[in-house]
Amino acid sequence: MVDEGTRKTLSNIQLLKTKAGPRDKELWVERLKEEYQSLIKYVQNNKEQDNDWFRLDSNKEGTRWFGKCWYIHDLLKYEFDVEFGIPVTYPSTAPEIALPELDGKTAKMYRGGKICLSDHFKPLWARNVPKFGIGHAMALGLGPWLAVEIPDLIAKGVITYKEKTG
Amino acid sequence: MADWEEVKRLAADFQKVQLSSTTQRLSERNCIEIITWLVDKKLLDLIFTSDGKEYLTPNKLVNEIRGELYDSGGRINLVELSKVIGVDLAHINSHIHEVLKGNKDIQLVLGQLIDTSYIMRIAGEINEKLAQQGQINVSDLTLQYDLPAEFLQQQVLEKNLGKLIFGQQDPNEPRIFFTESFIARSKAKIRGSLSGITKPTPVASILSQIDISDKLFFSLFDQTVMYGTLTSRMAGAQYIPNVYARSQNEWVNNFYKQNSYIEFDALTRLGISDYKSYIKKQLANDDILFLNSCVVSKNIPDRIEADIDECISSKSYVDLQSTLPSVFNTTDIQLILDKVLTSPKQQQTIIIDSFVVSKAFVEKLSSDCMELVKEKANATVESGKYQQYQIELQASHTRTHKSDDVEEKVDKREERRKKPQAVKVEEVLKSSKSGNKNVDNDDIDVPEKKTVLKIVTADDIRDIIGIPLEEEGIEDLIEPITDYLLPKLNEQGLELAANIYAATVADKTATRRQTHNELQNKLNALISDVRLFEKGIKLLSAELQLQLIKYLLKTLCTDIVTEILNYLSAEQNSTVITDNFTNDQRVKFVNDLPAEYKSSLLILVKSLSGQSIDDFMSAAEGGLTACSMIIKKIDKKKDRLIILNHKHQLLEQLNTCEDLTLVLHLATLVIFTTATQCMIHASGKHVSALLSFLKQYLTEEQYSELTSYHDFVTLMLSGGSEAESAKEKLKEKVSTVKNIANEFKKPGAEKL
Repeated sequence: MVDEGTRKTLSNIQLLKTKAGPRDKELWVERLKEEYQSLIKYVQNNKEQDNDWFRLDSNKEGTRWFGKCWYIHDLLKYEFDVEFGIPVTYPSTAPEIALPELDGKTAKMYRGGKICLSDHFKPLWARNVPKFGIGHAMALGLGPWLAVEIPDLIAKGVITYKEKTG
Repeated sequence: MADWEEVKRLAADFQKVQLSSTTQRLSERNCIEIITWLVDKKLLDLIFTSDGKEYLTPNKLVNEIRGELYDSGGRINLVELSKVIGVDLAHINSHIHEVLKGNKDIQLVLGQLIDTSYIMRIAGEINEKLAQQGQINVSDLTLQYDLPAEFLQQQVLEKNLGKLIFGQQDPNEPRIFFTESFIARSKAKIRGSLSGITKPTPVASILSQIDISDKLFFSLFDQTVMYGTLTSRMAGAQYIPNVYARSQNEWVNNFYKQNSYIEFDALTRLGISDYKSYIKKQLANDDILFLNSCVVSKNIPDRIEADIDECISSKSYVDLQSTLPSVFNTTDIQLILDKVLTSPKQQQTIIIDSFVVSKAFVEKLSSDCMELVKEKANATVESGKYQQYQIELQASHTRTHKSDDVEEKVDKREERRKKPQAVKVEEVLKSSKSGNKNVDNDDIDVPEKKTVLKIVTADDIRDIIGIPLEEEGIEDLIEPITDYLLPKLNEQGLELAANIYAATVADKTATRRQTHNELQNKLNALISDVRLFEKGIKLLSAELQLQLIKYLLKTLCTDIVTEILNYLSAEQNSTVITDNFTNDQRVKFVNDLPAEYKSSLLILVKSLSGQSIDDFMSAAEGGLTACSMIIKKIDKKKDRLIILNHKHQLLEQLNTCEDLTLVLHLATLVIFTTATQCMIHASGKHVSALLSFLKQYLTEEQYSELTSYHDFVTLMLSGGSEAESAKEKLKEKVSTVKNIANEFKKPGAEKL
């Protein structure tokens, strides 16, 4: 199960209604609208709670998503690129979020930089189709993964802090 | 395609949201840590709320306090404040001065914050109330507003007086405020009530009528029109209307002018309690005299004085009770008399209760009594009461003065001893008299006084003076005048008695002297008789001599002794009469006599029981010298005269004698005397023996006549059956016997 913080975060993310994938044409548009609304709300909440931790953008059709995510450890901000595509079977299948930078640096990652989500994620997602959307995937998938893996990776020296310029 | 447009728009919105800045946010824990750190470092001054969840800066607290104060309408309790703000009371207290410092409108009163707006508000309220009630008391306000009186007084009332509160402060009682109209109303009430009152009324009852507090009344009283006066400024004062006072004064003046006096009771009845000062004020111009129950003008004492003068000159009396107004009590009269009676007048008058009696009047009454007093005095002396009284007086006097007078007494006694008897009596009297005087002069307080002899009784005097006094109609005076006269009359009576007694004593002394001489003569006569009788006895036979001597001692000699003893008894002021004493009693009596008499008289008394006349004679001589008497020398010529006298006496007796036996006895004695020229003293027993002795001098016939007569006498005296016939016979013979005695002549003389 997810921790308390995540659960709280989750409750703040709007649930979706439309069950449609990228191939569903009209309905997908509908679904995409809901996704955006949900994400806006989520980001607003995060900002309000001083808990902003990612930036996302999508292609025109909303089938591919890319952006950045970051984690603050010991007063240092570690930033990573993030990307994922919407599967054809979405929303029954959860999107596979990937951090290409960290590919091969950790065991908790599939080939191509896709993160290994916890055992609980898939059943949870399955139970909440079509209510869960991208925001949920970020909050329940990537967020906890970062919180566990990054400090470990920093400690192992796999990741080092890069002074960000500009 | 519109949908896609919308998607685009949403995507744009999403980007915008993501690009917007994030709020910087610290967790609660961090905040607490930061703040504690700051507070520790004293970089920050914060106040914790009482629940510990919030912090306040002091400025915030001050602002909060001000805000709350404003919210609660300008007045708030600090405790309440701490509850509302949620800060500990200690913080409030420590910051309260900051609140006050910055703002002069706010004050702290009894743990409450009060600002000017509140004060203004309550001032407005108070003004309304004042307008309604007319007057307002600070103490009532303290109850209403629960604020200290001083604060209300100074901060609320006095500050706003004339601005917000329209009224006046009571000048006498700064805690009371009132409005002009109220004052005017009260004044009107007071004026109305006071002008309506016509008699003295307690202020309390006035106040209860007009419903005004006494303080207000007293403060307004002076400002109202003066219709009268107040007795005092106290709650129990009385209001006396001028009308009343005026009429009172008029009444008093009129009464005084008419009657020349005013009694205090009348003044008290009029309601003047302090009558003395009132009178002094009211009758200041008059010459007045304060008495016990009233005040009088000079007139009354003058009149009384005149009355008394008249009473003295007319020798009568004045009843002051009737001449003075009836209200005067005895003390008043006494006071007036003290004033009026000058000492010369006092000497001429006697004051009995309310009567002034002139001395002359009493004198007259007393002279009425004098007759009785004289009588009584005489009676007392005659009855011997006076003497007894003198003796008692002397006794008590000697008792009390024993120690003082012992020497004197001894001296006197010695003197007395030296002096002749007659003088002694006087001496005793004198000393007793002087003793009496001593008692009077020296020992006034000694109880002897009580024993003063009563010559006249109160009843006697009362009876005498009662009649004239009752005629005058002043029976009341009987008792006091009696009391007054009694001691005086008694004294006079005593004096009279003393005079009478002195007179009688003088008489007695004279008679005593006489009796002394008489006794001396008598004793001398008796002694010479005895001597002569002895001479006669010596003519007789020895046996008869002895009998006759015994008889003589028993009779005549005993008489002599008795006389002497009686005399001595009288000398000793004893009343013992020794006439019937036996020999033993005589001895006892003599033993009790003073030593100077005792020895010689003892011999005398003993000689009575002896058998010798000579012994008796010498003893008698001794006895008489002891009694300061002289035995006269034997005078032969006188003896003859005595014998002759004796004979004549005997003959006279004989001739007048009717007793048959005594005739013989006397005849025998006559014959004996004639025959022997000697006297004989013999009893009837000795008649026969004497007859036989006389036989030689008598004729045969005479002798037989006498013997037969003697026989009949013995027969008669034996009382047998023949007594009566013997008596007859004797009667026949009496004249014969008498003749024999009368005609008997001494044979020798015949012969001559």
